[in-house]
Parts: sequence; structure tokens; C-alpha cells
Amino acid sequence: MDMAIETFNLTKKYGAKVGCAEICLRVPRGQIFGFLGPNGAGKSTLVKMLVGLLFPTSGKAILLGRALGDIEVRKKIGFLPENFRYHDWLTGQQLLEFHASLYKLGGTAKKRRVDEVLDLVGLAGKEKQKVQTYSKGMRQRVGLACALLPDPDLLFLDEPTSALDPIGRKDVREILVTIKALGKTIFLNSHLLSEVEMICDAVAFIRQGKIIRQGLLEDLRTGDIQVEMKIGGLTPALTAALASLARSIEIEDDLVRIRVKQDEDIPRLAALVVTGGGFLFEMNRKRSTLEEMFIRTTGGGEEIC
Amino acid sequence: MLTMMGITFREGLNRKVMLISLVLAVIFLGLYGTGVHYAGQSFNEHPNPMLAAVVYPQLLSFGLYFGGFIVSFLAIFSAVGAISAEIETGIIQAVITKPIRRRDYVLGKFLGLGLFLALYAALFFIVIAMIINIKTGLVLDGQWRALGLFALQPVVLLAITLFGSVVLPTIANGVVMFMLYAVAVIGGMVEQIGWLIGNTGLQQAGIVTSLVMPVDSLYRKIVHLLMNPTNNPLGALQQMGPFGSMAEPSVWMVLYALSYVMIFTGLAAYAFGRKDI
Repeated sequence: MDMAIETFNLTKKYGAKVGCAEICLRVPRGQIFGFLGPNGAGKSTLVKMLVGLLFPTSGKAILLGRALGDIEVRKKIGFLPENFRYHDWLTGQQLLEFHASLYKLGGTAKKRRVDEVLDLVGLAGKEKQKVQTYSKGMRQRVGLACALLPDPDLLFLDEPTSALDPIGRKDVREILVTIKALGKTIFLNSHLLSEVEMICDAVAFIRQGKIIRQGLLEDLRTGDIQVEMKIGGLTPALTAALASLARSIEIEDDLVRIRVKQDEDIPRLAALVVTGGGFLFEMNRKRSTLEEMFIRTTGGGEEIC
Repeated sequence: MLTMMGITFREGLNRKVMLISLVLAVIFLGLYGTGVHYAGQSFNEHPNPMLAAVVYPQLLSFGLYFGGFIVSFLAIFSAVGAISAEIETGIIQAVITKPIRRRDYVLGKFLGLGLFLALYAALFFIVIAMIINIKTGLVLDGQWRALGLFALQPVVLLAITLFGSVVLPTIANGVVMFMLYAVAVIGGMVEQIGWLIGNTGLQQAGIVTSLVMPVDSLYRKIVHLLMNPTNNPLGALQQMGPFGSMAEPSVWMVLYALSYVMIFTGLAAYAFGRKDI
């Protein structure tokens, strides 16, 4: 499979403190990849290494088939930093023209592309205003526009929707899905798990600088199905029988929460209740949300490395 | 590099420090012009060629010395956060992740600010020279070479301040650069006193400070170029005082200043090329 990002034991240390340790990631082209972890887990450190702001202590990485640090490959990489700051004395148009020049776009190609991205992020008509007069949401949009200027094959977005209202978030999600449909790869760092869940194909969880779980979102979810049952006449024998199928089981009075590995286990649970002499009043299959998966995997909270 | 140079030049024009410097320059040149005007008027009404031949060059030195002060302050204020402030605010993150080499980023900053400061200094010099020429009739020798050196003064400060901006936080860099500039100014005066009273120790102290920060020796060279004492029997009198130049810095000092600019700009590019942002 053609990879947009491959990292091999990529490590960043700040003296004795570890930013990221032996990160091995493979992000195929054409995916939206969510990178998740608590504050201080090393998410930004990895992104900063991949975009060339930090130099790795050891390990290597390949982006779009070129070694990390290659200048030419950056012509096809877009990056929206977290809390993007600007030369805010410029107008929106001037800012985009400056960033387009940094991407070596010139002449009519520059003008055409600036107009395109202004349209794409919904800032057409506002380009003559100085950036310092923009609202938070408009600033985020102009930052996204800067990242989209080179029509990037690989787009790094660090918290791209954090400053946006719900409509703005929806707009950005739609832009990202449109970009993905064009075969582009998006590496998304976000705390907004519901959004990641809506658009990402694959995710990785990082904790204390190390990747602790990664895979396609669908695969990660499939391995974790929660079933809630209301059971009358629950006996120790029935409980034991249910526990034998379960990855975990919680019981509160007549409410039983069970995690099972696969969909096929759900009818088996129902059969066990019936054959075990219990009365099944209610049964709900609950797919684990990304938030639950996140908390379970990372332990949640903020990390002090 | 040209893109960075362009944005840096435009930023220089847009910053508040530029506006403040322009206002200060207008106030300074206005007061200076008024002073020179009345001095010229006084000598016209009560001619005293001998005294005029001493006072006019002193007025010129005075103008260039304090003009150099304003230009140097602008150089330090403009460059003190050229890189560190962009790191601190995060502006740099969206810039150096583009297909641009880090050394081109630094060189673009240097060229943009250098061009802006050199033009500002050149304009300042021209206005002072015109005031002196029109109001006193004093003919200045070597004024084009002097103009070049006057424009080089802020570029010397820019080079080391830019290096400081890579390795130090903005405020610390500002403190260090103003101290360095003060060392140069005091060293220059100490050397001037050394030549006046024939004290070798003071002269050498001045030379050492010129090596640490060659801005003041460039000023002394400018004064010598404009008022060459070998052609003038009153030269020694004209060059006395804190704004004069009792001993002409050699051409090697000018070459040293140029090397200083290249070395510190190179060091800034080298250090930035290895810096984690």
C-alpha cells in the first residue's frame, strides 16, 4: 500500500524528558487519520517533527515517499498549526499571497489558487479586510486556506476546528471530506472526538509519548461492543455463564453491562439468559464511542511526562 | 529568500517603531536644522571665519552622532524580536514549514531589515548633510563614502541583534544589545579621551571595545572622511570633543565591520538551522 506517512522509531527527547518515543506509524494515502491523546502526551511533538519544526533525536520518517527534511516535498504538504498566528497587519488576500509565494506559486497560478481557497473556506468577499479585524473563526479559516494553498497531497491539521462555532465546524468537516475525496491524506490532531469519529478512517492513540493503539476506526470499534440487558431472575450461575462470553461485565441490580468481542456474541448472550432461566426484559447493543475508547485506552486526563 | 526579504521590508515600514522613529527623526532634524540655521545666521551677521571653521564641523559631528543614535536604536528595536518574537507568537510555525530553507529565512530577514535600515540611515545622513551644506556652506569631503559607512552602522547592529534573536528570548536580546551598544559608545569616548591626553591604556580600551562592537569606530571614520584634518590646519580643533575623531580608524576597521556583519549573519543562519521551534 502506498503510504503518505511512515515513521520508524521516531523519537524526540528534551534532555531526560521524552517528547515522543519510538513512534512507528503508517498512514496510507487517501485517509483521514486521527491522532489522539491527552494533553502533554506528545501529539504536537510528533506533528512538529513531521512538519520540520523539531529535529528528531533518533529514528526516521518518510513523507510522500521522501525523507523527513526534504524541502521539495513540502510543496505538497499543508500545515495548520494549533493557535495559528499571522502577520495580522496584512489583509487576508495579502497574507494568502505571501504564503503562496512561500509555496513558490507565482503569477496567474497564485492569483487563481488564492481565489479558489478563499471560496473554499468561505472568506470570499472578506479578503480585503486586515486579518487583525477578523473574528476567531475567520482567522481559523484563513489559516486553513493557507494550508490548502499548494493543493496539498498531505495536510497536517492541529486542532483545526477548536475556534469555530458549530456551523463553522460543519463547514470544515465538509471541506475535509471534499479534500479526501480528491485522494488527499489528512493527518488530524483534535480533541473534538465526536468530529474525529465522524470523518476519520483510522486513528492512533498516544500516551506518555508512545503509540499505544492504532488501526482503522471500524476495526477498533468492532473489537469492543457493549450490550446492555435488563434481566430478571439473575442467578450466580447465569452471571458466570454470561461472564464466560464477556470481555468485561458490570452488574447494577437487574441492569447488566457486558462487553463482547464480536456481533455474533449478542444472540448467544440472549440464548444464555433464556436457557439459564432468566427473564430478558430489555437488550440494547451499544457501539462504543470514540470518547469511551479514548478514555479506556489513554486513561484520560492530562499527562505530566 | 526574496519573499522573506519583501515581507520583512514591508513589516519594517508597517511597524509602530517605524512611525515613532520617523516622528523622532522629524523632531530631531527640525531642532537640529533650527540650531544650524541660527548659528549660520549669527556668523553671517557677525563674521568670524576662524570660529565658524571650528563650530560648523562640530555641528556636523553633533548631528551625525545623535542621528547615528536614532538609527542605531531603530536597528535594535527592529531586529530584537525579528526571529524570537515570531517563535514566541507562533507566526514562524506556518512560515518555516513551507518549502523554504531555514538559512533563506534568516538571510531574507537580514536583507529586508538591512535594506530598510540602510535606506533610513542614508536618508537621515542626506538631510543632515543638506542642512549643513545649505545653512553653513561647509563643503564636505568624501560624503558618498561617509554615507555608505553611516548606512553600514545599523547593519552592523542588525547582524548581531539578529543572531541574538535566534539564541535569546526577545527581552534578553534587547538588554544585551543595548548594553553592547552602550559599551561601544563609552569605549569610543574613552578612546577619544585617550588620544587627547596621550594615554595608551585608554586608547587600547577603546580599540578593544571597537572590536566587540565596531559601530562607534565607523562613526569616527565618517567624521574623518568628512573633515580630513590633513588638509585643514584647524583639523585638530575640529576633531576635539566627544563627537570628534582624534585618530582615524584604519580601513581595516571598516573591513572588520563588514566581516563582523557576515560572521554574525552566518552564525544566525547556522544557529537557526539547528534550532528546535
